[in-house]
Amino acid sequence: MKRVVFLIGIALAAQDANWTTYHGSYASTHHSALTQITPANAKNLELKWTFQAQSLEKFEVTPLVIDGVMYITEAPNTVVALDAATGREFWIYEHKNPEVTYPCCGKINRGLAIRENTLFMGTLDGKLLAIDAITGQLRWETTVVDFKEGYALTHAPLIIKDKVLMGTAGGELGIRGFLAAYDAKTGKEVWRFKTIPEPGEPGHDTWQNDAWKHGGGPIWLTGSYDPVLNLTYWGVGNAGPDWNAKVRPGDNLYTSSVIALDADTGKLKWHFQFTPHDEWDWDAVQTPVLVDRQWRGRPRKLMLWANRNGFFYLIDRATGEFLQGTPFVKLDWAKGLDDKGRPVRVPGKVPSPQGTVIYPGVQGGTNWFAPSYSPKTDLFYLNVWDDYSSIYFAWDQEYERGKWYAGGGIKADVQSTRRDRLARRDPKSGYGAVRALNPSTGAKVWEYKMTDVSEGGIVTTAGNVLFSGNREGHFFALDAANGSLLWNVYLGGQTAASPMTFLVNGKQRVTIAVGHTLYTFGLRE
Amino acid sequence: MNHRWLALLLCLAPLSAQHSDTSLKNPFQTPDDRARGDAFFRSQCASCHGVDGKGGASGPNLSTGNFRHASNDEGLFRVITKGVAGTSMPGFSMNGREIWQIVAFIRSLSAGRDSAVTGDARAGEQLFRANRCLNCHWLNGAGSSRGLDLGRIGQRLTPAEMRNALVDPSAEVAPEYWIWQATTKDGKSLRGSRLNEDTFSLQIMDDTGRLRSVAKADLRQQSLDHRSPMPSFRDKLNDQQLNDIVSFLATLKGDAK
Repeated sequence: MKRVVFLIGIALAAQDANWTTYHGSYASTHHSALTQITPANAKNLELKWTFQAQSLEKFEVTPLVIDGVMYITEAPNTVVALDAATGREFWIYEHKNPEVTYPCCGKINRGLAIRENTLFMGTLDGKLLAIDAITGQLRWETTVVDFKEGYALTHAPLIIKDKVLMGTAGGELGIRGFLAAYDAKTGKEVWRFKTIPEPGEPGHDTWQNDAWKHGGGPIWLTGSYDPVLNLTYWGVGNAGPDWNAKVRPGDNLYTSSVIALDADTGKLKWHFQFTPHDEWDWDAVQTPVLVDRQWRGRPRKLMLWANRNGFFYLIDRATGEFLQGTPFVKLDWAKGLDDKGRPVRVPGKVPSPQGTVIYPGVQGGTNWFAPSYSPKTDLFYLNVWDDYSSIYFAWDQEYERGKWYAGGGIKADVQSTRRDRLARRDPKSGYGAVRALNPSTGAKVWEYKMTDVSEGGIVTTAGNVLFSGNREGHFFALDAANGSLLWNVYLGGQTAASPMTFLVNGKQRVTIAVGHTLYTFGLRE
Repeated sequence: MNHRWLALLLCLAPLSAQHSDTSLKNPFQTPDDRARGDAFFRSQCASCHGVDGKGGASGPNLSTGNFRHASNDEGLFRVITKGVAGTSMPGFSMNGREIWQIVAFIRSLSAGRDSAVTGDARAGEQLFRANRCLNCHWLNGAGSSRGLDLGRIGQRLTPAEMRNALVDPSAEVAPEYWIWQATTKDGKSLRGSRLNEDTFSLQIMDDTGRLRSVAKADLRQQSLDHRSPMPSFRDKLNDQQLNDIVSFLATLKGDAK
């Protein structure tokens, strides 16, 4: 019996030392059990090594680390294996995309999945690749979709048992989204769930006319998995066309929803739609954070979800039951949520030919960058864009294959990427903050306010330290208990990625992609 | 060949290339082409660059006639087809005619800038100097960096916009030209233009034209005045004089004098 306990202990230690999935764990809490870095010693963090990307595209990767080897993607579809202790390269695999591909928002890639020494990556030209993690050689390649229809694969795949799960971007190009599972050994497709139901399928009655044919519903961020329930959870993106919603009357399932699928069959177990008939491009493409904790006096299997539409949700992840929803940023498009979680909309707060000012702006109250939940503090952490609006426009547009199909436009003082100096906008037009919420109430417990907004994700540790980066160029550590700044370094580029932490040679390290460089920090020795 | 002569020829070659524009010209510039380009622009470009092409959530202003990644029509064609690495700008797979029609429409956004010029540019230049505009502005190697560099103002603004800026400079002031004022914790007053800002600091050009960073932790208070530091010439110049100055400014398109 002692031996069994010991072995389990080793397995847990290895898991803690490594970062084995895009989100760090199936529960996607972006929380690490590592404790070497603490609020007391975080001031002694220093740079250990850097890796310079060759690509000038946005660097959105969150690396994997397995037993001292780090695996990253460099935009658009290059895989690099590095020594996690030094940053020295072991090998590079470069996938050649055609000259013209169809990513909506930069030729980016967010990362990899790994299973038994095989790495998996989706590509901009619609392929799923399996690459030998030791040699960097291609093992197999399968075509997921015809990318010329407007599809692009940008998120890190998710491994569940013997399958590789992959979704597709393209919500601004008139696609019909899906999530598909492939045999990890052969690349053969096992199941496919279409996020826009076809005629005869449940949910199709939420569409009218032929709008479903180009209805969007992309999946461009990795989902989560509950092994006990055998359910995998994925956020589905916006309906298409984004802003001219009059051509698609109805709720438009399963856009701007979370879907819970049987991991073996891909069958829908339940869904919850955050933004029925989304008219604002508020993809529900956030991280499904799975937490087991008390709620109203009894233990529940919860899903915590801060949505782009500005509400923070508690959902029972076994049944899909809506438990609670509270605004976490300024919003004016809904008066609140009803007892089923459906928004009570404010009339007139929709895109229009002349333009309508609406809070939050098009990037939402938060977006794809990772939040975190710490069981040590029992707090939910996220980067928010607050007091921020856009002017939303709508106009008629015919669908054309492979072309932009948004049916409108956007104007905002706050840019969606770090394009201009902050001086070119009114500081009152929005700000960013790392905010800690009480999961039970959605109430703010503390915030670390920043001048500019951030596309940086968050990782927390059992050492009670929170790491994040921002658009201003700073990477920093906060006390997870109270938000006080422990350490800050200026790296001179935008963070558009989520940090991760791991052990190498017994020492805790923290890695973040900033600008075009990957930085790894550790304590001074 | 004498190597010294060869070196001289190699040095001259790029210079002579700069003086003859051999770039491709847009073959599709009829009103119909521009109308088609307008339709393509609204469906494919306006989401980022704004309905009026003056910039949107992630795309820059395309209505000034100045472009960050292109200096001519051929460059615009290249940007539209290839995209811009490291930005949200993708390459578009439309046919060549459609791309040229978009280029024609984008060019039309900054066209007609000289149509309202009715003054005497030479008299305007004299007025420009007599009113000491170079005390704040920079032009062709002279003046001050505190105000806008006027070397390309004839491309950036229409005559009507220039006239409005002269008579009512505070009517519409971009945030980067707002006047920043602050008091430090030890009682010193600071004033200047806010060039950049983050959570911890501001980068400013102070009233003496000096670039400096200021730590927010050292400030007792700070504010932004949304008015322009430029004085109004509404009561200082008559209509003809304003037209003359605008005519002079309209000639400033970045050509070295």
